[in-house]
Amino acid sequence: MSAILAEKDLIPQSTPDAPLLPTWLSELRDEVSAHPGVNHLLLSRLRTGRYTKGDYKVFGLQHYPMVGTFTRYMELLLLRAPSSEQKLWLAKVLVDEYGEGSDGDDHAKLYLRYLNSMGLVSGEEETTPLCSAVWEFIGIHLRICSEEPFLVGLGALGPGHEWAIPKMFNQIIPGLERAGMGYEERMYFDLHTEQDIEHANWMSQALAQLGQDEEARALVRRGALLSLGARFRFWTGVERCVVARRQPHSVDAVRRGILGSRRPDREESPGNRRDLRTAIQDHWAGKSWPVPLPSDSTLIEVSQ
Amino acid sequence: MRILLVQPAPFECGRIGLENALWMSEPGALTAIAACVEGDHEVRIIDMRLEEADTLPRVLSSFKPDLVGVTCMTTDAYQAQAVLHCAKSILGEEVFTLLGGHHPTLVPEEHDFEYIDAICIGEGEDTFKELIDHLESGNSRQSLEEIDGLAFRRGAERVHTGKRSQARELDTFPTPARHLLDEYKGQYFFASAMNMAAIQTSRGCAFDCNFCAIWEFYERKVRFLSSKAIADQMEMCDEPFIFFLDDNFLTRPQRLVELCDEIETRGIKKFWMIQGRTDFVVENADLMRRMRDCGLMMVLSGFETNDAGTLEALRKDNTRENYIKAAELLNELSIITTGIFMAHPDFEAQDFDDLYAAINEMKITIPLVVINMPLPGTQSWRENQHKLLTKDARFFDLLHAVTPTKLPRREFYERYAAWNEATEASIDSSLSWRFMARRPRLMMAMRSGLKLFSQRREVLRMALNDPENYLRDEEGIIPEFPPSDPQETRQELVTEVVGV
Ligand code: B12
Ligand code: SF4
Ligand SMILES: [Fe+2]
Repeated sequence: MSAILAEKDLIPQSTPDAPLLPTWLSELRDEVSAHPGVNHLLLSRLRTGRYTKGDYKVFGLQHYPMVGTFTRYMELLLLRAPSSEQKLWLAKVLVDEYGEGSDGDDHAKLYLRYLNSMGLVSGEEETTPLCSAVWEFIGIHLRICSEEPFLVGLGALGPGHEWAIPKMFNQIIPGLERAGMGYEERMYFDLHTEQDIEHANWMSQALAQLGQDEEARALVRRGALLSLGARFRFWTGVERCVVARRQPHSVDAVRRGILGSRRPDREESPGNRRDLRTAIQDHWAGKSWPVPLPSDSTLIEVSQ
Repeated sequence: MRILLVQPAPFECGRIGLENALWMSEPGALTAIAACVEGDHEVRIIDMRLEEADTLPRVLSSFKPDLVGVTCMTTDAYQAQAVLHCAKSILGEEVFTLLGGHHPTLVPEEHDFEYIDAICIGEGEDTFKELIDHLESGNSRQSLEEIDGLAFRRGAERVHTGKRSQARELDTFPTPARHLLDEYKGQYFFASAMNMAAIQTSRGCAFDCNFCAIWEFYERKVRFLSSKAIADQMEMCDEPFIFFLDDNFLTRPQRLVELCDEIETRGIKKFWMIQGRTDFVVENADLMRRMRDCGLMMVLSGFETNDAGTLEALRKDNTRENYIKAAELLNELSIITTGIFMAHPDFEAQDFDDLYAAINEMKITIPLVVINMPLPGTQSWRENQHKLLTKDARFFDLLHAVTPTKLPRREFYERYAAWNEATEASIDSSLSWRFMARRPRLMMAMRSGLKLFSQRREVLRMALNDPENYLRDEEGIIPEFPPSDPQETRQELVTEVVGV
């Protein structure tokens, strides 16, 4: 209808091609690339729809708490790395994640810049109730990186994150642009489409060496699928929050199961970002996670 | 070839709309085109309105279709695009993506994206079949010129092929492949009529209302399915309810007489619903009675307005007397009336009150008040485009004011959102015990649907009765309106918003 509608459109890039992946890894890469967590319709909708800064703020407030936690997962996993060579790989990514690749600005600060450009009222980022999918996402990653075998953790953070993020964010960026956000403001996202390609390649090298037998490969895959399953539910949770901003009744109706949804929302919010920080500290101190975590039976497999 | 056809969900997960609360119709476009290629290819249909959010990516990666086709009316535009985008995202460049339906036909330029390979303009059956044959034979997707009724990209160029002829008799089209919807059986409904099938028995309309694009879509011609073919299709349905999708079912009394003959001779026992004009109802009382006896249970009509001047402007070519008489007659025959009424953006407080009073007087069983707006492709669009406050496709659902309102927007929506409660009296007086006692078999058939519908109506009420819902939808898209100087601000607003 407007000139904008007829804009040139780019098809999202697929996950980066790491050099010479062994077959099992390139199959896993295809599976990640086709996974509903990476191709949630919300992402395509952000791409094709007309979401405003207000909508993106709702999105961002749910996403923000997850931004600072990736380094925490890495730290946990680092402790469990079986050899110093593996520790080194992880440490390399970790340094970047701490902010080296973004002129010392760490990711949380970059993300705040994005939130501010959408009209964040100071303090909102701490007090906004987070949907249970955010809690679940963080809880499951903490568990994976501290309790599961090392390779499950590597699967979650490598294929589950570094392979997935560039493709997901490539779908988000054009929508942000259309809503009026310049490069500076949305830098968090742009940076991850660039930086994570490198991270993904480092990780791929690590995986290629470690995944020598079927058992090892299955662990890596399981980690990736656990992570992407949580990611899928996260996007669904965000979508509901975006809808609820304009149409709170709609989400109530789904919660009560009236619209015939086979999976009505479970919940009230388990807490805000402050509560979440406390829970993470408690977890570090050995307490159990306050929100129930899904079992492997909820894995979303993508048949090949 | 493996072909995946998709009915998009018009909204995000969990949003209330007319679809999930009042009228969920099966994707008739998709069963119609599927039937043309089904024998030679593997075809699947998914209806995203009835699926969980992960179904589409799952099906795309497991079924690995060679072609994904999506149907789309205006309100579906972005969601339909999202489906095709998702297909390319998962399957890459190789998958052929195709869009069809009313919106892309009327404004194809709005779907000019790299992730959409081609658009089917107009009637789909032959175009689709020829396209599939072309691709199946290994021909290039860049050389589609030979196929009429397509818009596609050839590099930087936009190619519109020849016009698709609409001369083909409806009886010669294959019967829609409804069995491809088996997994959704029982989930389509209109109000309390649960478990509903849909059949299109004619295409086009001989009238030319200025807010409707049907007559332009079908080039002012009307084609009919023979009564024998209609009855054949009715017999194939195992659903108790059937919705006839025709925009104007009530034309040519002789064809309807023949249809009744077929239904009676074959002993078909279905309850059916139609859309039709009130003037026909009034002029053909006996035929209406006979159709009632053959299963007609509901007539949906555009009552549009209670004001003769507006009727004239809408080129509706009908009179208010007809509306009143038709409602009376249908009530008398125990045929449910669904009446679409229009509120206009230039309504003042009194106009709303008058409209609601008129509805109550008419005793309509299911009144629906919508907001008049120019839909893409209509006469009204061409005349009123300059007034549009937004061209955001989601707002063209007849529930939002896309042109400036005379009342301040908040007040406009407060008055508008009151319609549901303000017209309760109409429902109550129409659905009398007498009405129900006359049709015990129908009441039995609707028994299970009635309970569900009363829950759904609650949901619909939540969505429709709260003026804040409309205003929140507009937030950040249509600025609140108007402050001190309406004239001046309106002008600014229009130039500002339309450019977006
Ligand atoms: C059933 C129906 C609905 C259903 C849902 C539709 C569905 N897909 O299930 C419901 C009740 C929900 C609905 C709602 C609305 N509807 Co409606 N609806 C219809 C109706 C009566 C029948 C649709 C149908 O099944 N037709 C039968 C098939 C065979 O015809 P077809 O869809 O045109 O398909 C053919 C071609 O278009 C093409 N084609 C279509 N899709 C595709 C896809 C591919 C890949 C290809 C190759 C070809 C192709 O090939 C098909 C065979 O020839 C049509 C009227 C009509 N005559 O079609 C209006 C119609 C589609 N609706 C219309 C409107 C305006 C609405 C509403 C906005 C307003 C309202 N109050 O009705 C709402 C909005 C919904 C919302 N989200 O808010 C307009 C659309 C105008 C537009 N610009 O898009 C129509 C045309 C009515 C009219 N008189 O103008 N509607
Ligand atoms: S509104 Fe009804 S009568 Fe008028 S042109 Fe459209 S289909 Fe025909
Ligand atoms: Fe990273």
